[in-house]
Amino acid sequence: MKDDNLLWQARHFIYSHIAETIRPPSVDETAAHFGISTEGASELYKELHNRHALFLDLERMAIRMANPFSGFPTDFKVHANGKTYFANCAWDMLGIPAALHCDAVIDAVCTESNDTVHLEIKGGQITNSQLPDTELLIHFPLPFARWYEDLVFT
Amino acid sequence: MLLFRSEELVDTWCKRQNLERGEMLSLQQVWKLSKLWYSNRISLEYHGRSMEQVAEIFKQAGLASKFWYL
Repeated sequence: MKDDNLLWQARHFIYSHIAETIRPPSVDETAAHFGISTEGASELYKELHNRHALFLDLERMAIRMANPFSGFPTDFKVHANGKTYFANCAWDMLGIPAALHCDAVIDAVCTESNDTVHLEIKGGQITNSQLPDTELLIHFPLPFARWYEDLVFT
Repeated sequence: MLLFRSEELVDTWCKRQNLERGEMLSLQQVWKLSKLWYSNRISLEYHGRSMEQVAEIFKQAGLASKFWYL
């Protein structure tokens, strides 16, 4: 990659686009924004993928994850700034208000029981959950050293 | 990373998936980690982080077990 400056501008554009619209920009939208070819924008996406700055669905050349944001609907919904974002996982559902620096209401599901879990983030604190904090747990299945072996599983 | 209502439900899920149990953190622990990990994620200046920076975040979040070794 010859132009790291353009690469990081593209990363910033992708994240800003998600923050504003809840969805990642297509390759064509990124190409149009920077006045470059679709092939050029695809190369930027692939380079960001290779650097773990985002995770692509390579067959569709679409952004599957720009952590904490998911490019596709999930069970982890984060209502913030008048929008509903999708998080990749239980960690990322808390990552979205952390990244946006805003209050949020989170609707999620317990993986094993399928019970709905409702949380609120207000003023930088988890202010409301229907269960005591000690009963809600987030399970990290793999140690950090193995996170990038299989990002979807992780 | 998945959400569970109890430790028992984590164990039930792991057994059914034929997986060893990983690390379980409380919501408050993950919220603290999230603020350290993601607070600058949208910034133009964020270009990823070094292993040393990752280690510092885990330290600040109080994650010191072998599970979090780099």
